Amino acid sequence: MNESAIVLTIFAAIGLGTPVVFATVGEIITERAGVLNLGVQGTMLVGAVSGFWATWVSGSLTLGVLAALVAGGAVTFLHAFSSITLRVSQIVSGLALTLFGTGLATFIGRAGETPLVGNPSKKQFEPIFDGAIAELPIVGPLLFGHDILVYLSWVVVAASSFYLFQTRFGLALRSVGEDPASAEAAGVNVNRVRYLHVIGGGALSGLGGAYFSLALVPSWQDDLIGGAGWIAIALVILASWRPWRALFAAYLFGAAGRINFTLQTLQIDIPSNLLAMLPFVLAIVAMIILTSGKRARLLGAPAALGIPYFREQR
Amino acid sequence: MTTRRVIVEPRGLASLRVRMLVPLLSILAALVVGAVFLSLTGNSPTEVYLKMVDAAFGTNRGIGETLISATPLILTGVAAAIAFRMLVWNIGAEGQLMVGAVAAAGFAIAIGDTLPGIVAVPLVLVGGALGGALWASIAAVPRVYLGTNEIITTLMLNFIAINLMNYLVFGSFSPWRDPESTQFPQGRPLPDSINLPEIADSLGRLDFGILIAIGVAITAWFLIDKTPWGFELRVVGDSPDTARYSGIGVPRKILTVFLFSGAVAGLAGAILVVGILGKMDPRSLDLGLGFVGIIVAALARLNPVAVIPVGILMGALNNAGPALQSIQVPTATVTMLQGAILIFAVAGEFFIANRIRRVRRPGRTSADVPVEGAT
Repeated sequence: MNESAIVLTIFAAIGLGTPVVFATVGEIITERAGVLNLGVQGTMLVGAVSGFWATWVSGSLTLGVLAALVAGGAVTFLHAFSSITLRVSQIVSGLALTLFGTGLATFIGRAGETPLVGNPSKKQFEPIFDGAIAELPIVGPLLFGHDILVYLSWVVVAASSFYLFQTRFGLALRSVGEDPASAEAAGVNVNRVRYLHVIGGGALSGLGGAYFSLALVPSWQDDLIGGAGWIAIALVILASWRPWRALFAAYLFGAAGRINFTLQTLQIDIPSNLLAMLPFVLAIVAMIILTSGKRARLLGAPAALGIPYFREQR
Repeated sequence: MTTRRVIVEPRGLASLRVRMLVPLLSILAALVVGAVFLSLTGNSPTEVYLKMVDAAFGTNRGIGETLISATPLILTGVAAAIAFRMLVWNIGAEGQLMVGAVAAAGFAIAIGDTLPGIVAVPLVLVGGALGGALWASIAAVPRVYLGTNEIITTLMLNFIAINLMNYLVFGSFSPWRDPESTQFPQGRPLPDSINLPEIADSLGRLDFGILIAIGVAITAWFLIDKTPWGFELRVVGDSPDTARYSGIGVPRKILTVFLFSGAVAGLAGAILVVGILGKMDPRSLDLGLGFVGIIVAALARLNPVAVIPVGILMGALNNAGPALQSIQVPTATVTMLQGAILIFAVAGEFFIANRIRRVRRPGRTSADVPVEGAT
């Protein structure tokens, strides 16, 4: 593989990884608040179709992105309400959201006189730099060859990492995920923190979905995103609940997808199904090796993850 | 000044009326949500719903197809119900079903026509159940002995199973692939003798799988609710500490239930393979049957017997989906309705577990303020 092939692979990996970056960071924020959201897959699909639809009717990519954020946050409200206020099983509620979201997205895409499904997007995100700077060797494509959402994803990663680990709000968030009763005693409104971050995480997942329908694929089809939502849940563990690691984990996942494609064009026969298993196998291995018992704490798994908080029963 | 507030308090066992009413209301609420989306997109909800009822129950053949759809859902529902009741969060029925199908097809192809069907079919079904249990063990063993969270591992195993299944038929020339199919790979047809017989001509291709599923559901209920062994299981589910202090071997119990749950899901895959499919057909096995089983279990409030009617209802919904295309309504309406039913059922759980009352603020006696609306 020569230099340009490596650059091309990394470039493609960034593109393929970007939707997963948004969703993984969204799920990290959610889980840091102590809430497990298995609805990412459904949320991403709803975001993808909403963003596509909004751009379709308005011709504006900005409105598309806003619609994806709002729709992702809105459907995730269902999960927030069931798991925080009603305190029901987060697993069942999250899976319900995935099922509902998948059905809703497919339904929106196929309903009406002129269905959206099968259409290319009216507009799509293009690289923002052109001219000499984008044609520099290596750094041209890798640093200046992307559309604005890729740069936004870097901002999201940097900002969420700073927020989580350097700010008072981030400390409060992490304390809610670790030990909600103590957080409450220290004056943190546990339920409010959980609501805000679960819904915010859902909005990011919605944006990740829209990256498929407005930039990566730019079109709408049923199940456009493959299993990206499930990949995001796996990557949260591989990234040990840290945004920067999520960025690199997502790009590694993107590179695996790209290498798969490259190998196929070179007629090197590594079965694509076996390669597709890889992130899931790695997530299981990481879970077993790293998150068993006490080591889970070292890894960064929020201690109260998945446990409903009963204020009255403190 | 009267201030009032709403308090929420846990209640013991809810009355049967509440326990029956909540699932029914959640279905009704989901239908209302579905109606809103249908109306917004210019469809008549009544027409769509009547069409669905007609497709699912209108004819003998329709009823047969509904029960065919219900069979795997009853089994994956039982798999989820027994595990969840023990606080074992096995959300891997999806993958266990697929590996069960792979194992069953593998056994059937290996046995070939050497045994009479009456011997071979049960063997193959047991093989499928073992396959499901084996797949579950990958998550169960670390859970029991290392404390690894099974939610994520069982979830991830689903996607490994999907790829494994696809690899065997689409990605390689394995024994599972029909050697005749080169352009469009397909599963290798099972030997003719290894086939679940059909129940009656009038019910179309409905086979004995539905009776096996109902039998498994009733057996699971009996084991858990009516035997000393099941009593110990319930103690572990309700309070692991109590179980530990009273000398119940908790890890062993959890492992048993986890593997049993996987075996039931694997059986679902095996029944599909030796029944209506007649081969290991990845496309017909990757339909979210395990995930819908979790809804079935939740709606049935983790009662294996209640799983039967709920499974039939969900089977009816699945079966009605394709019929909607004839009136230009997306099949996905059904998925949306199923998801909505689950969301409302989950929310309804809160009202079963808690009582909501309006009370005056503490610190005043009832003599101080007149009760609003009492006069």
